[in-house]
Amino acid sequence: MYKYSEKDKKLLKNRTNEFRFQVERRLKGDLTEDEFKPLRLMNGLYLQLHAYMLRVAIPYGELSHVQLKKLADISEKFDKGYGHFTTRQNIQFNWPKLTDVPDILSELESVEMHAIQTSGNCIRNISCDHLAGINNQEVEDPRPWCEIIRKWSTFHPEFSFLPRKFKIAITGAKIDRAAIEVHDIGLKLVKKNSKTGFEVYVGGGQGRSPFVAKKIKNFLEKKDLLNYLEAILSIYNEFGRRDNIYKARIKILVNELGQKKLEFLINDRFKKFKNKKLELTKRQIEEIYSFFKLPIKKTKKSEMPQENDIEYNQWLSQNVIKHKVEGFSIVNISLKPPGKPPGDISALQMNELSKISEVFSCGELRVTHEQNLILPHIKNSQLFQLWKKLKVIGLSTPNIGLISDTICCPGMDYCALATARSIPISQKISNFFNDYSIQKKIGNLKIKISGCINACGHHHVGNIGILGLDKNGEESYQITLGGSATENASIGEIVGPSFPENELLSAIKKILATYQKNKKNEDEDFLSVFRRIGISEFKRDLYENPLQR
Amino acid sequence: MAKKLKGDYFYLTANDLISGNVLYLSNNKWSKYFDDAIKIKRNEVETYEKIALEDEKKCIIISPFFVELTDEGKIRKLRDKIRKNGITFEGK
Repeated sequence: MYKYSEKDKKLLKNRTNEFRFQVERRLKGDLTEDEFKPLRLMNGLYLQLHAYMLRVAIPYGELSHVQLKKLADISEKFDKGYGHFTTRQNIQFNWPKLTDVPDILSELESVEMHAIQTSGNCIRNISCDHLAGINNQEVEDPRPWCEIIRKWSTFHPEFSFLPRKFKIAITGAKIDRAAIEVHDIGLKLVKKNSKTGFEVYVGGGQGRSPFVAKKIKNFLEKKDLLNYLEAILSIYNEFGRRDNIYKARIKILVNELGQKKLEFLINDRFKKFKNKKLELTKRQIEEIYSFFKLPIKKTKKSEMPQENDIEYNQWLSQNVIKHKVEGFSIVNISLKPPGKPPGDISALQMNELSKISEVFSCGELRVTHEQNLILPHIKNSQLFQLWKKLKVIGLSTPNIGLISDTICCPGMDYCALATARSIPISQKISNFFNDYSIQKKIGNLKIKISGCINACGHHHVGNIGILGLDKNGEESYQITLGGSATENASIGEIVGPSFPENELLSAIKKILATYQKNKKNEDEDFLSVFRRIGISEFKRDLYENPLQR
Repeated sequence: MAKKLKGDYFYLTANDLISGNVLYLSNNKWSKYFDDAIKIKRNEVETYEKIALEDEKKCIIISPFFVELTDEGKIRKLRDKIRKNGITFEGK
């Protein structure tokens, strides 16, 4: 993991002190709410429906056991004893007091954490493939590049007041687990003529105008990364719209200018940059890479325990995957147990998981953008022992990638922007499809639920997407089909008129029935069937006969 | 604050500046108990709007707004109902 330099630590300390002073001035009335709001947002503090909400950054989803313990402590001391992992690998506390926030930031600072770049019109927390550096299919570990970009982007004076927020995601693998094509900039590490560099995608995003990003560069040399990003951001800063918040993201600029024109502008700006200090030397890159060495070495003496326990074997087959180092496995921890809010974790679970991580996984954890956690380095021989410990704390649900592993935003239960609730929908789905064998029969399926068009629940890229709407004062849910956030990303198609809450589950069952009858074989998943047969039959089956409740 | 309000009766609500808690305007003070909330007639909206802005200036509350009521005196919008009753799901 990256370790903060003295400069990093000082920067953070100053920032916390600065915010403490700003809070004092706000309480004394020296700052109005209009003046204070941008300052609190720059420190991750929102005002939601019931209370303040603090969003804490987990840069590229990497977390140490010490940091997780600290998050548990904060949730107990300053909040209501739980946290919520988000769809951008961050964590949110839903009930902090304004006067406690400077103390929370101080606590975070003590474990090299903060809430910077979690709000406001800046370059947000960089997100990354949660299997970075531990899977077999990648060209190179993308985490050092996340850190290089984090260093460059944090408090970048030119890009602190962009037309709108700006999100960057990176993957080093062919399989895209970081949803790079629905980010403002997506970077993919690729190899060309034995050299490693980046493919660059621009203009992806969700919200009310969803777009899949356009590839604007087939190969960018590593040394040029920051200069190229600087070129993209400065073009966006100059030409991005500031007159209309709904048209301010770079995706709209790409769409309005056209890909060719934008490419020309960016490449022209890139050529003109004489700012050599942003060109990365081999030594600089190697220095950052040195922080991300694997903490384990291969071992042939680590066999997976054979046990006759059905639940253990379900968990093993669903949640455990191969590590690139022989003798080790990667363990996915589902934060979607039946009937629970997706992404939520209690202080007790965080505390126990912190200890488990220290003992079993070299003290490392990862957060996925699908609101789950990962123990990245587990000795095969310890899997059964680990499973038993996870089961005790309710973190052994075997549903990774299945129908009950939904992505879900907080929705109207927490969010001031939401037009409908989303967590109760997710709970209904996970309760109904609780049975593992039924879920396995349905196969890999990503259901993503948003409580409004801002799409924090990524509904546009759900194989089945659910969008909560307000229809004349009643909650109503629009369904989209065929979305995907992986390589070959696609935006889901609206299947037809929306459903009231009490008819939604029946609608999903009908959609699944159409899928099941069209499956060519057991391995053909929902998305493959949808892409093969299109939306018509789903639509016909869904709307031609009245729904069976 | 008072623009585009529907109906004839309202509650005035806000969040506590320090705790962020939901508050309702009762007789001359802000209360965290909905039952204390006073019903405001349409022709009183401007008066109460001034009170809210004043209390915002005094750093007591933030984000004040009027909650719309139906003819039967019930809260009109789901968002406001959730804000009054708390999160709607179990399983925390």
